[in-house]
Amino acid sequence: MPNVPRKKVGLISCSGEDLPEGTVTRRAVREVLETLRPDDTVTLCLPLFLAGGEGERSFARYYPTIAVDGCDKRCAARATEKYSAKPAVSIVVSETAKAAECRDIGPARHLNEAGKQLADSVAGLIAEETDRLLKKPGRKTPLSAADVCGCSCGSGLPSGTVRISGRATRVAGLPLIFARFREQELGLNEKTGAALLENVKIYNEVPDSQKQAWKEALLREYAQFLQEKD
Amino acid sequence: MSGTRRKMSVVPCSGIGKSLGAAAREAAFILAEDLRPATTKIVALSLLVMGDEEAEREVAGGEAVAIDGCKLECAAKGLACSGAARVHKVAVFDVIRRHRGLKPGGVCDLNEDGLRLARATADEAAKIVDDADAEGGHA
Repeated sequence: MPNVPRKKVGLISCSGEDLPEGTVTRRAVREVLETLRPDDTVTLCLPLFLAGGEGERSFARYYPTIAVDGCDKRCAARATEKYSAKPAVSIVVSETAKAAECRDIGPARHLNEAGKQLADSVAGLIAEETDRLLKKPGRKTPLSAADVCGCSCGSGLPSGTVRISGRATRVAGLPLIFARFREQELGLNEKTGAALLENVKIYNEVPDSQKQAWKEALLREYAQFLQEKD
Repeated sequence: MSGTRRKMSVVPCSGIGKSLGAAAREAAFILAEDLRPATTKIVALSLLVMGDEEAEREVAGGEAVAIDGCKLECAAKGLACSGAARVHKVAVFDVIRRHRGLKPGGVCDLNEDGLRLARATADEAAKIVDDADAEGGHA
């Protein structure tokens, strides 16, 4: 049975070997993962991301990510946006170093002390952004318990509102479907999207031309639902 | 023939999740900075795959060495799509099988066994570079 991803922030470092700042990205991300925020973050391997790793791309599609790049070419941020979704935060180490007037940080292979200190500073920045993202106020609640669709038999079927193709759409039965999927520990993937659509179609009219849009929207809402429950 | 020969591109995966990715990265540095600085040059995989012109120029039409940490072979796949004429694969996960007993650890700071594994990987890559050099393949 697939595991439901926990509410975490994905960290993507460029790890570029061309510049010492690339090594700083790597060191900073590992520091956050191992020491500063081990329970709140996961790393998404950029090479795997670029090579088509579906797990990495799916995660970044549904969860907030922080891209950490060494230079203004911003490979990690651009790759995340190209293959998944725009990163919630983009940090460029060369800019951080410039602002801190940190010039000589050693070679890419072995950072000097200043380079390691810069990595510590960047790690602190990542941790702050992680906290901010996980406590983000005003997040849209996808489902409202008060939303209940009437039924001719007199019973109430809870519903939720989902934005589909830019339009807020009432979806009957959604809370129950999501809750059941969560109990079954169904993860965020194509198969789950298809299964969600099939279940939703039992209570709702879904035009053939809109099936893909519904599937994507349902998966997106399901990801938010899991985030809020976990 | 020109006295200046084109350097062979070395592309490590630099995976951040496991020690083997870190060993791949370290092996690339050992190869390009210590063992064969005159004949090899590191090209960042991220730049290459994201279409950086300079990185693509380095690789296009030449031979290249991909050093991968895991079986997914991200560096080799990235190189294959970047116009390299020939991609030589060096896999850390294969090298470690030939050096049983090594227990690499750490990512940012590899432990002693991790560094030994990186050195062994770099040695294998150096042999590939030398063989290609002898053939004149990347001249």
